[in-house]
Amino acid sequence: MSIGETFSYPEEQRQLRQRAKKLSWLSIVLLLSAGTLLLYALGQSEAMKTAWVSDVLTAIPPMALLAAMRVELRDRSPRFPYGYTRSISVAFLVTSGVLSLVGLYLFYDSVAKLVKQQRPPIGMTEMFGHHFWSGWLMIGALSYSLICGLLLGLLKKPVAKRLSDKALSAEATMNRDEWMSEGAAIVGILLVGYGHWWGDALAAAFISLEIVHDGWMNMRLVLGDLMDETPTKMGKPEMEDITDKVRSRVEKIGKVARAGVRLREHGRAVTGEIFVVPRDGTNVLDLVRDVSREAKGIDWRLHDITVMPVHDLENATPPRVSSS
Amino acid sequence: MKQLTATSMWMRLICTVLVITSVACDLPRDSDGTLNRIRGGTMRVGVVVDTPWTTDSAGVVGGIEGTMVERLARQLNARVTWMHGQQDVLLTALQNRDLDLVIGGLGASSPWSKQVAFTMPYDVDTVRVPGGRKPIETQHVIAAAPGENAWLMRVERMLIEERPKVAEQLRQGNP
Repeated sequence: MSIGETFSYPEEQRQLRQRAKKLSWLSIVLLLSAGTLLLYALGQSEAMKTAWVSDVLTAIPPMALLAAMRVELRDRSPRFPYGYTRSISVAFLVTSGVLSLVGLYLFYDSVAKLVKQQRPPIGMTEMFGHHFWSGWLMIGALSYSLICGLLLGLLKKPVAKRLSDKALSAEATMNRDEWMSEGAAIVGILLVGYGHWWGDALAAAFISLEIVHDGWMNMRLVLGDLMDETPTKMGKPEMEDITDKVRSRVEKIGKVARAGVRLREHGRAVTGEIFVVPRDGTNVLDLVRDVSREAKGIDWRLHDITVMPVHDLENATPPRVSSS
Repeated sequence: MKQLTATSMWMRLICTVLVITSVACDLPRDSDGTLNRIRGGTMRVGVVVDTPWTTDSAGVVGGIEGTMVERLARQLNARVTWMHGQQDVLLTALQNRDLDLVIGGLGASSPWSKQVAFTMPYDVDTVRVPGGRKPIETQHVIAAAPGENAWLMRVERMLIEERPKVAEQLRQGNP
C-alpha cells in the first residue's frame, strides 16, 4: 500500500508536463497579445466585444492550470492527507463556471441588441496618417487572434493526449474552436460593411453560444470528477477499461481468489481501491504487498491505491464495481 | 485529422471572402442609404446651441460645427434643414434615424455614444472648474445616425479636412 507516497511522474510524463507548462505560458502571451490588439480595434461592434471577451476568457484556463501545477505535486500535509493532485479539477471548476456565466450574459446582451435594433456604428480609423474603415482593422485583429487560437490548439492536443490530461485537452479544443468565434465576428463585420446591421449582433450571439458550449463541456468534465466517476476516455463519455485491466491483472496473482476494483480520477492521477479475496492459507500481509506492487506497474497514473483483503466480494463491494 | 482538413477548408473560405471583399473596396455601405439620399437632396441636422461650437443668430446657424456642416452640405450639393431643440430630444430623433446629424459641442465621453454614432474627435480642449481638483478634457465630436457607416465615414473625412482650420479658428479670438 502506498499511503505515504507523494504523486510523481515518470520521466516521459515529467517532460511532457514541462512542455504543457511552456505551452500554458505561450497561450497566455499569445491570447493576451491578441486580446490587446482586439481591444485596440474594438469600436462599437458587439461581435468584436464578444470575440474579445471570449479571447480573454480562454486565457484563464492556462493561468488556472499553471497555478494548479504549482500545488499539484506538493507533499501531503496533515490538513490535506490525500495530497494535492485534485487541484487541477479545482482549476477546472473555476474556468467552467466563469465561461458559462459570461457566455450567457453575452448571449443576452447580443439578443437584446437585435431586439432593440441597435445599429453598430463602425467609422474611420486614423493610423500613421492613413485613413481607412475601422472594419478592416477589426478584421485584421480578428485574423491574428484566429491564427493564435488554431496554433495553440494544434500544439496542445498531442501533449494533452500523452499526458492523459483532460483539462489540457479541453483547453486545446477550446483554442482550436476559437476560429469559429473569430470567423463569425469577421463575417459579422463584413455584413455590417455591406449595410446589414444585424450581422454584428447575430455573430455576437453565435459566439456567445460558443462560449456557453465551452463552459458546459468543461463543467461536464469537472462534475464527473467531483462525482468520483470511473476514468473516462479522453474527450469522450465512454469509460476506460483501466478498471477491468487492473482487476484481471490482480486476479492472475496466484494467491488471489477474486478481486474487485473501483477507480476514480484525481486530476491526472487515478486512485481507488482493490478488494481481494485471498485463497485459503495465504499470508494476508504478503498478499497486500504483492497486489500493491502489481498495481503500480500497470499504469503510471495509478496512485494511492488501497488494497483491502475481504472474506467475500459481494458483501464488501459497492454496486458499481467491475468484477464480473 | 478529419477535423484538421475541415479547419483548413474554412480558413481557405475565409481567405477567399477577404480577397473578394478587399477587391470590392467600397465598404462600408449604409444600411439605410443615407449618404445617397443626402447627395443632391436634403440633410436633416439637429442643433443644440453651445457657443462657440454652435451659434444661432436670428435663425442662422453658425459656430465652428455649424460652419463645418454648411461646408459639407455644399460639397454634397445638399440643402440643410435645421431643427433646433433640446439635446435629449434631438439625439433620440437621431437614434431613430429621423435626423442625419446632431451638433452642439458633444463630447466623446457622453453616455449617448452607445446609442448614436459619434465621429472621431476633431478637437480636444481642457476646461477647469473653478476650485476643481481635476481638469476636464473634452474630445469634440459630431453625432451621426447609427448604422449609416458610409455616411459616418463621409462626415469624418470632412472633419479631417476641416481640423486644421478649426484649430486655427480657436487659436484666434474664440475662447
